[in-house]
Amino acid sequence: MYNTAITKMFGIKYPIICGAMMWLCKPRLCAAVSEAGGMGNLTAGNYETADEFRAAIRETRKLTKKPFMVAITLLPSVRITPEHHKMYVNVCAEEKVDGIEFSGTPLDKVAGMEAVEMLKKAGVKMFHKVGALRHAKHAEKIGFDGIYAAGIEEGGHPLNDDVTSMVLTPKIASSVKIPVVTVGGIADGRTMAAAMALGAEGVMMASRFIATKECEVHDNIKQELIRRQEFETVIYGKSIGLQGRGLKSKVLEEVLAIEARHGGFEELIPLLSGQKVKEAWETGDVDYAPLMVGQSIGLINDIPTCKELLERMAAEAGESLAKANKACNG
Amino acid sequence: MKTRITEMVGIKYPMMLSGMSWISTTKMVAAVSNAGGLGILATGPLNSAQTRVAISEIRKLTDKPFGANASLMFPGAAENAKVLLQEKVPVINFALGKGDWIVKEAHKYGGKVFATVVNIRHAKRAEDYGCDAVIATGQEAAAHGEDVTSLVLVPHLAENLKIPVIAAGGFADGRGLAAALALGAEGIAMGTRLMTTKESPLHDNYKKMTMEKEVYDTLFSKRFDGILCRVMKTDGAKRAMKRGLNLPAAFFNSQEIARQIGVPYFKLFIGVLLSGWSNARQLAFMANAFKAIKLATEDGDIQKGVLPVGQNQGLIHDEPTVAELFARMVVEAQKAQAKVNAALA
Repeated sequence: MYNTAITKMFGIKYPIICGAMMWLCKPRLCAAVSEAGGMGNLTAGNYETADEFRAAIRETRKLTKKPFMVAITLLPSVRITPEHHKMYVNVCAEEKVDGIEFSGTPLDKVAGMEAVEMLKKAGVKMFHKVGALRHAKHAEKIGFDGIYAAGIEEGGHPLNDDVTSMVLTPKIASSVKIPVVTVGGIADGRTMAAAMALGAEGVMMASRFIATKECEVHDNIKQELIRRQEFETVIYGKSIGLQGRGLKSKVLEEVLAIEARHGGFEELIPLLSGQKVKEAWETGDVDYAPLMVGQSIGLINDIPTCKELLERMAAEAGESLAKANKACNG
Repeated sequence: MKTRITEMVGIKYPMMLSGMSWISTTKMVAAVSNAGGLGILATGPLNSAQTRVAISEIRKLTDKPFGANASLMFPGAAENAKVLLQEKVPVINFALGKGDWIVKEAHKYGGKVFATVVNIRHAKRAEDYGCDAVIATGQEAAAHGEDVTSLVLVPHLAENLKIPVIAAGGFADGRGLAAALALGAEGIAMGTRLMTTKESPLHDNYKKMTMEKEVYDTLFSKRFDGILCRVMKTDGAKRAMKRGLNLPAAFFNSQEIARQIGVPYFKLFIGVLLSGWSNARQLAFMANAFKAIKLATEDGDIQKGVLPVGQNQGLIHDEPTVAELFARMVVEAQKAQAKVNAALA
């Protein structure tokens, strides 16, 4: 039986958490990860009204009695407004969800300390996804329960400090008292064991969960993640102050070309629209929209069920630890 | 400790010194080897006569195995590699080029050859022509990494190669050592950590800065020496990046290099021109970088100097001896493993 600060906090079998993914982290995948002994993820941004969001939480609860995370991204976007952010927080408190993965602006700056207090009172565990120690310290100071330490290898929006997981996890883990979960570069038992040796109490994966049987995405996408290697992702969006990492594709080459000739925000927006990402996941066209996956895709070679994946990771972690133990004690 | 690397080379710890110009000098190499690791001499700033002298100096200072590097992109590197082969250096570490001929010659006397690589393609090629190990350089490393980070690169190479993988980039303590081993590495290489030890000849100004700077205080760009290179974020480095390639400076700095490696400048100049424009441009970049790195490491010039460092500078806060560092790292690694063993039992 695994025994880390994260498994204890939630009463789960494995310290493996699914990360936020727009359009993909819906009740089915979320429940599958939780049922497998990890922590599923329901991404709030999929839902525009309180009723829809609440219905999704309840639907997930019908599929699993086990705990799961809700993800709330506190970044300005065209579709999701600051009003949405407050609505998500309120619904989470009312529904007493198990935990929230926050990313972007600190919660207290968006919704005030009263939002933090409200969630605490509702027993919701709060995690902030950060790319720097200073942001982790802020989250700890305002009473968060844990940190997601996100290295530059992650898909999505890694902080432009550009620090890798190998360096960021030990840096943060040795400087805060609350548990740290490694994000970025994790896809198997070896990387999980490594993260924990660096001081993490758990790991978060997103790209790896796309290539599982339960993920509701076009099969082309899953096959593409098996085919592609770790060097086939790119960082884009530096010129507009919000860098992202996504799968190397025609659309991201176009984005980078526009950025290289100092093209404006207006030119980029149509290429980066979230609605197009939704269509790309559904149709399986990898060149249609930026698909935000991390370097860990190089470690993906198959499409298991969530249960198979988590069980295998546990076995692999044990094997790689045994080998490392032997090296150090030989 | 016991891994395929300690067994192959006959060393106590699977920890090697990265070959850093003006830092991985004879005394430093001997210090690392005497402490149970594998010292690697940096031959970049040496001509072939100096390389030969350096090897014999190292042999006076230690009877333990050691190695030397050859960055094949630099002028004079092939000549240095030939000296290493003549001197039967136990381990030769080459980078930035094709070292098949080195492998062939080294294997004749039982020498081992390690190739520094940044991706699976280079690694496979190195394995195919007989290298004994690869050094996998992650993005976080000092100087020449590429985009892929150690956490992803190391397990990917380890599962696809038969020869052992040595992880480089991001390693500064026992937690990192334990992580590398868990990822399937058979050893680690350290530059930034080892250059901040008592025996390291790095100028005190930069040792102090390495201990003060944070994990995010590095710059990673092609604008310093023409290929992706990670250096300490200082005003001097920012200026160098902003300026990009400075051809007049390259003209003067390359004359200095010619003097250093003992090649008539005319010969070097013609040789470089004949190698094609993109290579000439690359070498012009490198000539300036060479000068800036020397100013940092030897003179401690905090204005004009530029020092390659890894992101792990933010994990370094002291200046132990090499022996203290290695002993401490093993204890830390065992502690980290015990904790994970208990958690994942």
